[in-house]
Amino acid sequence: MSLVCRNLHFAYNGTPILSAVDLEIREGEFRVLLGRNGSGKTTLIYCLAGLLRPQQGTVTIDGLDLAATPRADIAQRVSLVPQEHADIFPFRVLDVVVMGRTATFRFAQRPGPEDYLAAHQVLAELEAEALAERNFNRISGGERRIALLARAILQAQNTLLLDEPTNHLDFNNQYRLLEKIKRLCQEKGTRVVASMHDPNLTARFADTVTMLSQGRVLAGGPINTVMTAQMVGRLYQTPTRRVAMEDGTALFVPCTPGQGSDHREADAPPAARWT
Amino acid sequence: MQPSHPTNATWNPSVRAARLNTGLAIGLVAVLGLSLWTGWVPIAPDELGAIVQAWLGNGAGEEITGKALVFGLVRIPRALLTVLVGMSLSAAGAVYQGLFRNPLVSPDILGVSAGATFGAALGLLIAGSSWLVVQSLAFVFGLAAVGMALLIARVVAVRPMLVLVLAGLVVLSVFNSSITLLKYLSDPYNELPAIVFWMMGSMSRGQWGDLLIAAPIMGASLILIHLMRYKLNILSLGDLQAKSLGLNPALYRLIFIFLSSMVVSVSVAVCGQVCWVGLVMPHIARTMVGPNHEQMLPVAVLSGGIFLLLADTAARSITMAELPISVVTAFIGAPLFAYLLYRNRGSGWS
Repeated sequence: MSLVCRNLHFAYNGTPILSAVDLEIREGEFRVLLGRNGSGKTTLIYCLAGLLRPQQGTVTIDGLDLAATPRADIAQRVSLVPQEHADIFPFRVLDVVVMGRTATFRFAQRPGPEDYLAAHQVLAELEAEALAERNFNRISGGERRIALLARAILQAQNTLLLDEPTNHLDFNNQYRLLEKIKRLCQEKGTRVVASMHDPNLTARFADTVTMLSQGRVLAGGPINTVMTAQMVGRLYQTPTRRVAMEDGTALFVPCTPGQGSDHREADAPPAARWT
Repeated sequence: MQPSHPTNATWNPSVRAARLNTGLAIGLVAVLGLSLWTGWVPIAPDELGAIVQAWLGNGAGEEITGKALVFGLVRIPRALLTVLVGMSLSAAGAVYQGLFRNPLVSPDILGVSAGATFGAALGLLIAGSSWLVVQSLAFVFGLAAVGMALLIARVVAVRPMLVLVLAGLVVLSVFNSSITLLKYLSDPYNELPAIVFWMMGSMSRGQWGDLLIAAPIMGASLILIHLMRYKLNILSLGDLQAKSLGLNPALYRLIFIFLSSMVVSVSVAVCGQVCWVGLVMPHIARTMVGPNHEQMLPVAVLSGGIFLLLADTAARSITMAELPISVVTAFIGAPLFAYLLYRNRGSGWS
């Protein structure tokens, strides 16, 4: 049972964003998409969610072709936590979470007691029960992420797509959130695909990584084989060192201009411009 | 913080809304009674009893009095029509505010009122056209205006909601200019006052015939909007999230716009333009029961009916000559809106 993406091409108004992307993500796998700004991470996530139609190639989930599957059926397998969430009407957090059940509702159906109970349970599992009655527009960025994660978990536990889940989160919240997501993979077999910016958080939490550069897969595979100083340096076009920690983990640190002699492991030219 | 029992906490808003709705329904009946009783022909309660008795007891031998005629042929249809129009405008306002994710939107945003008013003005200028022609033209042009806005948005085909608002603005301007042109071309002694009076809005033309045509259309649309109201919560998140939650936003948006345009067109056809109801009533409902459309929509609909009926009763009772109803709704609605903005300032509105 896999999420498979074959020879995916996506262009926006003729500008290619993704080219020949191949992916295969198993059940219970935590896959991180790494890449610079504009490398196509968000577009790829939207293609995997069936929100964007690729011009070429297919996305299948457990053998189901997304292009030929009704939206409600996709939504019961794949849920998405979007990157930005514009302020909306000041709904209660519980009302936001229960919206995860939308795909199961018929024409005139509304959430019933069992849906609210399920929403409470998911919030409790995430240790966020206290948020239930709060105004979604008045809670912190970290709390909103948790609320939206709860909504996504209530919606579908097969595949969870996260677009930069750690954005705007403080140091502690980044770790707490990723730990909860990791536990979801391990305990419920949820497949997670998350786009991230931090190679260190990636190396610590992900099982596998796909490096995207200008819409193409630069490298992909298990963390240990792919996350080398050389590859990280190539991806970010910045000479990078790998610093081993006492507990066996490693940190990736960009080489600053003054550290010229430490360039041994990095051979990439520095990035010339913002992207 | 004490842990609350989940089911208890869950059902609080809906229990509160249910109580409120019961109260509003009773209030509506009370206001209906007040409105039927009020007016320049005084009808005392015992006379009312006699009239009703005369009808029920098939009036054998009883003379049908002038008061009975006023009551049965003027006040009852007018009051019922007013309630329906108030409910419809309020529901349409709630729907549009949800769809466009903007609390400042009124049902006019896609040009439905302007289109319907243009249709009515056109009907008034065509010599010898009956009320039915005027009303039919108002209804058709109201729907046509929204259809044009949707068509423009479809042709542009990017950023659906933003383009729809701009397309609505285009249609609105075209029809408003056309109305000005019709006014300019009209005969200033007979036609112009008729057009102006139409635009100010009045329930005074409401008769049983109007009610029999308007009630089924408005009733059916209101029931459908009521049944589908939970979907407004999802649509208010925007297309991307609605899609990823498993809803087809384009389809549901079209259904909602169609239903709202139907009721607003019928409203304008029946009584001309009535402002502020569609803007203010959803706000009052949100203030009372929160933004969840499950609870908020019925509250908005009932309050809309009560509000317009009170406004109409005031319009025909305050002065000897009847006031245009939009004057009354604006005089009450505008300060009320300002107060609500003040009340809700801390709710995290964007």
